[in-house]
Amino acid sequence: MQLTVNIVVLASIYALIACGYVLIYRVSRVLNLAHGELMMLGAYLLLATANSFSGNPAVAIAVAVALSLTVGVMVYVFLMRKMTGEMVLAAVLTTVALGILLRGVMVLIWSAQQQYPGQALGFSNPAIALPGGGRISTFAAILVLMTALTYAALFVFLRFGTWGVRMRAAGQNPLLAAQRGINLHAVYALAWGLSTLTGSIAGMLIALDSGLTNTMVIIGLKAFPAALVGGLDSLVGALAGALIIAAAEVLSIQYIDPLLSDVVPFLVLIAMLVVRPWGLFGTREELDRV
Amino acid sequence: MTTLLSVEKLEVVYHRAITAVQGITLSVQQGQIVAILGTNGAGKSTTLRAISGFLGIDDARVTEGSVAFKGRRIENRPPNEVTRLGIVLVPEREKVFPNLTVAENLAAPFAPAMSNAQRREREELIYQFFPRLAALRARIGGLLSGGERQMLAIASGLVCRPELLLIDELSLGLAPVVVEDLMQRLVHIRKELGITIVIVEQSAAVALDIADYGYVLENGRVVLDGDRERLTSHGDIQEFYLGQSSGDRRSYRDVKQYRRSRRWYG
Amino acid sequence: MSDRMPRASGYFRTGYAQEMALTKTRLERVSLGAFVIALLVYPHLASPFYLDLASQVFLASIGALSLMLLTGYAGQVSLGHAGLLAAGAFTAGILSKELAAPIYVTIPAAAVTGAVLGVIFGLPSLRLRGLYLAVSTLALHFVVVYLGGEYETKRGFSTGITIDTPVIFGFRLYGGKIWYFILLAFAAATLLICVNLLRSRSGRAWRAIQAHETVAEALGISVAGYKLLAFVISSAIAAVAGALFAYYRSFVSVEAFSLFLSIQYVAMIIIGGMGSLLGALLGALFVTLFPYLIEAVLLKLPDAQSYAGVLFAVNYAAFGVVMILFLVFEPQGLVGIWRRIQSYFLLWPFKHKPVAGARK
Repeated sequence: MQLTVNIVVLASIYALIACGYVLIYRVSRVLNLAHGELMMLGAYLLLATANSFSGNPAVAIAVAVALSLTVGVMVYVFLMRKMTGEMVLAAVLTTVALGILLRGVMVLIWSAQQQYPGQALGFSNPAIALPGGGRISTFAAILVLMTALTYAALFVFLRFGTWGVRMRAAGQNPLLAAQRGINLHAVYALAWGLSTLTGSIAGMLIALDSGLTNTMVIIGLKAFPAALVGGLDSLVGALAGALIIAAAEVLSIQYIDPLLSDVVPFLVLIAMLVVRPWGLFGTREELDRV
Repeated sequence: MTTLLSVEKLEVVYHRAITAVQGITLSVQQGQIVAILGTNGAGKSTTLRAISGFLGIDDARVTEGSVAFKGRRIENRPPNEVTRLGIVLVPEREKVFPNLTVAENLAAPFAPAMSNAQRREREELIYQFFPRLAALRARIGGLLSGGERQMLAIASGLVCRPELLLIDELSLGLAPVVVEDLMQRLVHIRKELGITIVIVEQSAAVALDIADYGYVLENGRVVLDGDRERLTSHGDIQEFYLGQSSGDRRSYRDVKQYRRSRRWYG
Repeated sequence: MSDRMPRASGYFRTGYAQEMALTKTRLERVSLGAFVIALLVYPHLASPFYLDLASQVFLASIGALSLMLLTGYAGQVSLGHAGLLAAGAFTAGILSKELAAPIYVTIPAAAVTGAVLGVIFGLPSLRLRGLYLAVSTLALHFVVVYLGGEYETKRGFSTGITIDTPVIFGFRLYGGKIWYFILLAFAAATLLICVNLLRSRSGRAWRAIQAHETVAEALGISVAGYKLLAFVISSAIAAVAGALFAYYRSFVSVEAFSLFLSIQYVAMIIIGGMGSLLGALLGALFVTLFPYLIEAVLLKLPDAQSYAGVLFAVNYAAFGVVMILFLVFEPQGLVGIWRRIQSYFLLWPFKHKPVAGARK
């Protein structure tokens, strides 16, 4: 039972992070390899607001969330916008460079020590006993809930929201979208904002649950095979991929070798790339779009 | 009649190396249907794209000349800006969003300054122009037949409330019956909405059927222009574009040599 | 090595030997000779610190040239270069530690390991392109690094493997000056191999594959074979570089071969300029010297002591900024800048080269 709980929690983490990769890729064909660092930035922003609004956790969280959305939009407007129209690979390398830059800046501002925004906000994290014998910490449970809510919201927005339809349209045919009056830069900025927002929420919850450490970037990087295994342009795929990767990781730590935890997602990724490169639910043409 | 669109000595260069269009001059009067004719590679699509705007990935630029819409210069602007000014392009390829339904295809375009009610009214009007689409509201765009897809493409263009509608290669890949039907709808739309239409066609017979005025392009230049009577009665047009030859049999070699050495007169 | 710029008049080639020569004009020969003399004289003038710096640049060049071959010419994106370096380093470490193998066995063994890994890294390239290929090389890098970590833990070398000084025929290879020349020799050999590969059938096949795969296949070029060849050669060279690195530092540890190292090599070929061997060298020079530059700048600032602890963070941040600047503003890299300077002087008083296909 505890094993199942662990899988569900890990899958929720990966899914919440993975939807950020999917959002940006689906809309602009760019793989945002700085997502892990942006996620960590969100957690640091929560730390900063927690220290500034120490009496008022709700305000701290709200401000941090708003800031993350702004950061995502700004990253697009000031950096990635210059790379639209260039080769996708150059744009991806730009995100890699951005990630490196962010990592250096975060250490410079906040130092590399482990931080505890939960303590700064005055939250405690008691374990909840579940029927069947498993235990789950409060914030892990909140995270699972947030993942479900986020995915529901995204599904509704992309399916029925006017700008959701426009985002899908821009992803399918950017030229036609522009010819139908859609401002591509606005759509891309929105995608980056939403992606950074969801990633930051994941980062904040992880930090509230188990602290802010360097491993957060590694978690972000491990979530990316989840997105790819499911299909880089499919939200449903991200959920499925997250479950598969989380299950593989937890089970192999339990039954094979604990050291495998960091490499299992990539082994699953390699297997998927060999068998079905476009992922479980991805669109097949993606492969030829280099 | 006011001049709606004026293109002067347009020159378009692709990839900073290939000049696709050299010195095209044409003008479109309000309320007209203007045809741009020519064979493959004549520069017709490029001219339309130059009017409606290039994206960065196209790596194309208007390097000389000008495009003026209602007196304002609009060359080298991004497509979404040009659309908001009132010019909408129905492209030749990839003319609909393949993974969106018909209804979503009509919901996606961004129409300036329309309230929700006005938007719904507009969509209803468009469904009246194309009743077939109303029945297909939930069908995925990529699964439509050729004719239905062309209808959807024009319909989604009309959502943006254009004053000038540019249509690239309407008849390509469609059965003559379907083309005839679409052409008649275009005339009807022109009458109902009062918009101006420019159609680019390889099939001169189809285009000259509904056009008021026409330009013939060859190798990136305008070689002939005139109103419908002039074009359809012009000997060279009859021979090379309408397939009607005048008089005795000629050998293919004669025709080819004549084509190489002939001179177009304005 | 190609004739991109107009040459002075009176320059004629009258035989195949002249056509094939590496240096074509007297100016090229003289400058190459002067450069070689400078390289040979350098160790006698430089302090040990600068000697080590130069050696590091040579070592980086070997890896950068191999990556340029793979990504810049054959067009196969690889983000897993550090994994190949790690493989070579670990081969040298394992063989010398477990089997006490001498250096003239371990280096070829590293090359063989690299070649075998090259086949594995290259197999995805037969199905995938661009982004997906890059992702697969990234994944394989993590697997290789994991295996290295496994070995370290299972054999008890948790802080890394130390390697004894290599001995050839009784002669100890120890000392800054000796390694300077060893690394210079390997770098020169790599450069020569790359230059000749690119001038040969393989080079032409790679350029064709990069330009348009389908057309290359239609022309009878075995696309799969040449892709694998590019991976194999590039990986073998990279593994040798890793082995040399292991001997140079007398130490192998899996932490040295992080993702950041892979990115540094990619940065070398981008900052240097894709599609140019000179670019690989310039990029290697730039990226290797960059941290030292940052450190020197920081020391000049007031309050220098407080920065000492966060030097690596400043390095990261500065590196990210520079990489972004090159990607956004100078995608053709240092070679692009160099070519612009060259053409300014060669074309003056004209401003632009005539563009092919333009009417004017």
